[in-house]
Amino acid sequence: MESAEDWLVESLRLYQDFHAFDLSGATRVLEWMGDKGILVAGYESLKKNEILHLILPLRLSVKENQGLFPERDFKVRHGGFSDRSVFALKHVPDTRLLVTSGLPGCYLQVWQVAEDTDVIKAVSTIDVHETEGSLWSRVAIFSSAAPGVLHGVRLSSLKVVDLESQKTTYTSGVGDSELLSSLQVLDADTFAFCCTSGRLGLVDTRQKGLQGAQEGACSLVISLAPAVKVAHRKAPGFDGTVQVYDVTSWDGMWGRVDPLFTHRGHIFLDDNGVDTAPLVTTHTWHPDKPRTLLSAASDASLHVWDWVDLRASC
Amino acid sequence: MLLSHVVHTAATEVCFPSPLSVLQGEGPRASCGAGAGQDVGRSCILVSIGGKNVMLDCGMHMGFSDDRRFPDFSYITRNGRLTDFLDCVIISHFHLDHCGALPYFSEMVGYDGPIYMTQPTQAICPILLEDYRKIAVDKKGEANFFTSQMIKDCMKKVVAVHLHQTVQVDDELEIKAYYAGHVLGAAMFQIKVGSESVVYTGDYNMTPDRHLGAAWIDKCRPNLLITESTYATTIRDSKRCRERDFLKKVHETVERGGKVLIPVFALGRAQELCILLETFWERMDLKAPIYFSTGLTEKANHYYKLFIPWTNQKIRKTFVQRNMFEFKHIKAFDRAFADSPGPMVVFATPGMLHAGQSLQIFRKWAGSERNMVIMPGYCVQGTVGHKILSGQRKLEMEGRQVLEVKMQVEYMSFSAHADAKGIMQLVGQAEPENVLLVHGEAKKMEFLKQKIEQEFRVSCYMPANGETVTLSTSPSIPVGISLGLLKREMAQGLLPDAKKPRLLHGTLIMKDSNFRLVSSEQALKELGLAEHQLRFTCRVHLHDTRKEQETALRVYSHLKSVLKDHCVQHLPDGSVTVESILIQAAAHSEDPSTKVLLVSWTYQDEELGSYLTSLLKKGLPQAS
Repeated sequence: MESAEDWLVESLRLYQDFHAFDLSGATRVLEWMGDKGILVAGYESLKKNEILHLILPLRLSVKENQGLFPERDFKVRHGGFSDRSVFALKHVPDTRLLVTSGLPGCYLQVWQVAEDTDVIKAVSTIDVHETEGSLWSRVAIFSSAAPGVLHGVRLSSLKVVDLESQKTTYTSGVGDSELLSSLQVLDADTFAFCCTSGRLGLVDTRQKGLQGAQEGACSLVISLAPAVKVAHRKAPGFDGTVQVYDVTSWDGMWGRVDPLFTHRGHIFLDDNGVDTAPLVTTHTWHPDKPRTLLSAASDASLHVWDWVDLRASC
Repeated sequence: MLLSHVVHTAATEVCFPSPLSVLQGEGPRASCGAGAGQDVGRSCILVSIGGKNVMLDCGMHMGFSDDRRFPDFSYITRNGRLTDFLDCVIISHFHLDHCGALPYFSEMVGYDGPIYMTQPTQAICPILLEDYRKIAVDKKGEANFFTSQMIKDCMKKVVAVHLHQTVQVDDELEIKAYYAGHVLGAAMFQIKVGSESVVYTGDYNMTPDRHLGAAWIDKCRPNLLITESTYATTIRDSKRCRERDFLKKVHETVERGGKVLIPVFALGRAQELCILLETFWERMDLKAPIYFSTGLTEKANHYYKLFIPWTNQKIRKTFVQRNMFEFKHIKAFDRAFADSPGPMVVFATPGMLHAGQSLQIFRKWAGSERNMVIMPGYCVQGTVGHKILSGQRKLEMEGRQVLEVKMQVEYMSFSAHADAKGIMQLVGQAEPENVLLVHGEAKKMEFLKQKIEQEFRVSCYMPANGETVTLSTSPSIPVGISLGLLKREMAQGLLPDAKKPRLLHGTLIMKDSNFRLVSSEQALKELGLAEHQLRFTCRVHLHDTRKEQETALRVYSHLKSVLKDHCVQHLPDGSVTVESILIQAAAHSEDPSTKVLLVSWTYQDEELGSYLTSLLKKGLPQAS
């Protein structure tokens, strides 16, 4: 594959480090469990999907003497089977619990990651009252001594449920049936929501109703790098690339902004040889390494890459 | 290692399915220090199949430098000699964690039976063993180690095998080697006794690399497939990314004017890396020289000529066209070049930096931080390679000289191993009934077990170290059926139906480990026996005042009308026959109004005979 070879040669210049893996099934989720493990899950509709807890290769976890660690592979530390497609997966911090959302059936599944074996077991469910069968609930976690699960299909059905007691601690109390596209917890009392219409809003769970809504603001998924003020915009389903932007350089004018870096690995390393290039399904930042990202695509590939900031060399 | 469980021995001479048991040697996966990052175990598995005992691999644990590195065979030797107990030993490839304990096992513990391995393994093993012995004894001053003579004596017991060649170990046990990829000469082995078989994978690789092909096995459907559990829990970084990392390191060093030293063993990996660099140098139009130490070239060429069937298609093609090591950008090294200024890359032996040219070059280049050494494999304790991989930066050399290592040290693993996906592929190819994963921690691997069981509908076992696994097999016993018997069955008119079982009468003769199904007559003839005839006679009393002849006639008419599907005859002597059943009427000796019907039939006609009897007991219809 000529283009793959070319891209690899190019990659010597573009990336500090680069790893490419083939999962047994494509994932739409990449969730950290601690700083050394990630969780992935399948989303196929007619077969059993796997939920895997993967431990990062040692090389990516150590801070010094990287060169002395030849191990470049992921280890499957835990695994479980899900009969449903998994579209969202959240780890409840400081616990061994996971919450997933998917189809068919509009409910959330709670899982336990075993300590003495390699099993991820389904332990309980959280009801989501939604009659339309093709919709799945978005999920976010309020982490605290008593963790709460924020979920909802529509603005009207937004709820926070206490994980242990299963009691509802918050409801949106609005009648608006707009569909949600994502939820993000900001602190112990606040979360942000984004609707499929593009409406963006903030909610303080101590107050009634929804605050600060803005139209047409969130059509793309944004994630913020933990260590550095760099924003990453990914266009889900748009193409097979991942783009990195630096928000600190934006002066408030919403004009055309060029990405700092574009990761094209999923397109060029696609071994399937089919005409349709794979689409990037999800991405996440490494918690400790400022320029390391993990990205997954619809062809079951999983990349871990550390891009070179070409500005820095000038 | 403790062989702490009894091994099942064979059943009787008749082919009852005997339990197939596998005893796995202790092979703790040890990480020897943060710097070394070496993940080594020890392979040594004992399989009992159909009454035969086979040892698979005889590795040593390189993490230990005392007796713990060798397996403990005392459990078997307690009950007798190893030679008497074992039918053969099979070595999968030349890596020390698979063959390192072989001379100890054969010469110090004592085993004189055959040791099977492929030709490349046979050629390379003694070299590695000798190297290892030298390091252990000369560098580390170890006692109770095998000698050079022992290595030679051990190798005399080796029988080399070819790929896909069935080797008869004895008249019941046969083995066959399959291509495993991984390293030159590595093989997977099928062990067969009668209709029971086991496949042991050793180390293998499912994706081809630049100089070796991918492992392959046919749909041999063994009762058991034995493979490594660590594969199943690994998701491997792609080969391209590993190569990329290597190229990047070499390129960066060369770009800043530094020198790159790559210590290699004579074969395999060196070949792979050379091809890679050559391709890259060509594409990037790089000018820095790449050298290959001459000792390597000669040895490697020699070996490659011998083992060309073991490399992949591409290499085989190019070898026909030109010399293996005729690279455009790679030249023969001269000692003097090490002192030349400017960037360069050098491949030199030996691989662990423990002596010779690679160590010489290392000493010259270690002092500069612009330079780099890339260690492509595991290094035995005591070698300079091991020390620098453990993070040591000050080395004590001969004459108490201290060498400060400022050059960059990189440890890269180029070993080609299968992973979770690869294991599934292999299981899909071979279609075993059961899968056994060794060197894992059984309690921890329930998910993995479920995954394999679900995907392939096989049973998956994961014994803990020192544990025995026993499997019941149902071997199918082939039985030859005589043509005469088949013909007779066909003549009965009914066509065979694949869905309906058909009852066949015959005699099963077991002779000389052979099973045949023949007709009874033929069996009697062969065995020289006379056939016994069994006839049943039943008396049925009827009230009939007429003469016997008339009674017989009545019987005849009655049976003729009732038994429309059977041949009913009235013979001249008065008796009636229904098929081969005979009915005779006689007067009762004491009561003239009673007639006695004698119904007589052979054993074969029992069903009809019984039916007739009960029919007659019901009485005859009144004469019209």
